[in-house]
Amino acid sequence: MISPQTFHVVSTELVVGAFSVSGLSFLFCLLLHLDVLKKTDWKPLFDNVAHFTLVFGLAATPFAVLSGLSSAPGDGLSSPILVNKMFLSMTGMGFAIGVFASRWRLGQNVWATSKTTALHSIAGLAACGSMLLTASAGGTFLRNESLLDVLSLPYDAVLLFPTAISGISLVLGLGLLVLGWLRMNAVSSVH
Amino acid sequence: MNLNRRICTVLFLSLLLISSTYGAAEPGGNGDAMRDMQCGGACHGDAALNETSLATLTLSSSSTVYAGIPTTVTLTATNLSLSSTGVVGFFLLTDTTGHSDTPQDAGWEVLSDSNGGAANYVEQTLSSGQSETSVSWVVRSLETGTTPFFAAIHHGGSSSPFFGVTPSGHSVEVSEVPENLPRLSPDFIPQSERILDVPTELVLQTEFAESVQVQWKVEGGAVMNAQVNSSGENMWSATLPAALQPTSLQWRAILQGDGPEQTTPWFTLTAEEAGWEVEEFAVYLQAFALLFLIAGAVIALQSRLSPLPESSKYDQTDLLPQHMDDSTAESATDSLSEESDVAPLPAGGLPNGWNEDQWRWYGHDYLAGKYGGGQE
Repeated sequence: MISPQTFHVVSTELVVGAFSVSGLSFLFCLLLHLDVLKKTDWKPLFDNVAHFTLVFGLAATPFAVLSGLSSAPGDGLSSPILVNKMFLSMTGMGFAIGVFASRWRLGQNVWATSKTTALHSIAGLAACGSMLLTASAGGTFLRNESLLDVLSLPYDAVLLFPTAISGISLVLGLGLLVLGWLRMNAVSSVH
Repeated sequence: MNLNRRICTVLFLSLLLISSTYGAAEPGGNGDAMRDMQCGGACHGDAALNETSLATLTLSSSSTVYAGIPTTVTLTATNLSLSSTGVVGFFLLTDTTGHSDTPQDAGWEVLSDSNGGAANYVEQTLSSGQSETSVSWVVRSLETGTTPFFAAIHHGGSSSPFFGVTPSGHSVEVSEVPENLPRLSPDFIPQSERILDVPTELVLQTEFAESVQVQWKVEGGAVMNAQVNSSGENMWSATLPAALQPTSLQWRAILQGDGPEQTTPWFTLTAEEAGWEVEEFAVYLQAFALLFLIAGAVIALQSRLSPLPESSKYDQTDLLPQHMDDSTAESATDSLSEESDVAPLPAGGLPNGWNEDQWRWYGHDYLAGKYGGGQE
C-alpha cells in the first residue's frame, strides 16, 4: 500500500515536470512570436509539446492536490503555507484549463494575432509559474528551504477574501466560463 | 552547430551536473519522526555514499525495568565533528538491519523524547565547536524479555553524509512488575505539548498509589513542586504554571503506596504557540473561485480576441442569395410552381383559337382529348 506522502511525491513530480516543460515550450512560442527566435518552423513543435505536457500536468494535478491534503500533518489546513499551496495550485489549474480549452476549441486561431498569441503564451507561462510556486511552497513547508527562497516569497501570509467576495467571484467565473465556452463553440461550429 | 556552440553547451551541461551535488543532500535535516535507520535521511544510510562518523555513541539506562513502567534511555554523543549547519540526527533503534528496527517494532512505546515529542529519531542543531551532546527517550514495554538497544547518528561534514551506529546493543531486561508497586497506569500517555499563556493541568492515571507528588523544572532551573489533587480513584491532577514563551519543561511524579516509592522518568513538555487556524470553507470557496475565475477569464478573452476562422473549402453558403424578402421569394416560388404545372405545347404551337392564358389552365385537358385534342 502506497502511503499518501509517497503518492504525493510521485504526483507532484509528474505535475512539476510536465508544467516545467510546458512553460518552457510556451516561452519559446512567445519568443518566436516576438521574433527573438527566428526558427519559425519550430513553432508547431513547441505548440504541440506545450499543450501535450500541459494536459498531462493538468491530469496529474488533482491527484497531487488530493494526496497533498491526505498527507498533510495534523487536521486539515493547519498552516498558512498549505493554504497558499491550495490557492496557487488552483490558480495554476485555472490558467491551464483556460489555455487548454482555448487551444482545443479555437485551434490554430490562438496563434492568429499578436494579442491572442501573447494572451495564450502568457497564460501558459502563468500556469507553469503557479505550479512551480506551489512546489516551492511545498519545499518550504517540508524542508524549510526551497530553490525560490532567493525571492523571499511571503508564504506565511494568506490573502483570504471574505466569503461573499469569493462567492461572487465564483459565480462570475462560472458565468465567464459558460459565455466563453458558448462563444468558442459558436465559432467552432461555423468552422 | 559550430564548435563554439558545442563547447558552450557542454560547459553549461557540466555546470548543471556539478551544481546538482549541492542540492542532493538535506542540510536542513528531516525533522523528528519515527524512522527506520535507513530512512532517516537521504544518502546517510547508503553505504556507497556515506562515510563513517567518528562520533562516539554511548547508551545508558537501567539494565532491568518492570513491564509497563516507563524508563529513560540516554544517548551521549562525543567527538562530534559536524557540518557548518550543526544539524545532527540521533536514532534509538532495536536492531541494525535497516528496516523494522524502531523500538515500536520490538514492542516498546516511545513516550517522550528530549525534544518534546515522542519519536525515535530526533534532531539537534549544535553550536559551532560543540563536540558533545546527549539525547534521552522515555520508553515503556508491556512485555517481558530482553531487548538490545542501539543508537545511530546522521550528520553532515566536509563533503559527504556521515553515518554511525553503536557497535553492540545495550541490553534492557523487562521483568514482571510486583503486584503492589505504585506506578503510572499502563494506559497513561504523557502530554508532550501545551500552548502558551495557559496553565497546564496534568492528569495522571495511577495504580496502587496512595499519594502523588509532581516535580517540574526548566533547563538550568531548580526543581519545583506542583500542587496535586486527587480527582477520582487512581486519578490525580497537577497544575503546571503557564509558559510565556516557546520553551520546554520537564516533570516527573513520585508515587507512594504500600510498595516501595517509585519515581517516574523526567517527561518533557513543550510549550508552543496556539496552532494556526483558518475557516476551511472560505479557503476552499476562494480556491474554486480562483480556478473558475481565471479559467473563465482566459477562455472569454481568447474567444473574444480570436478572429473568425477562415471559411472552409466545403463552405458554399456565399453562393446563396444574401437578401431575399418574403414577397420576392413567394413570387419566385409561385412562378416556379406555375411553370412546372403548365402543359407542354404541342409541336404546332397553340391550338387554333387558344390563347396562352387558356393553355396555362386547360392545356392538360386538351392533351387528354377533352377538347378534341390529344397526344401527338
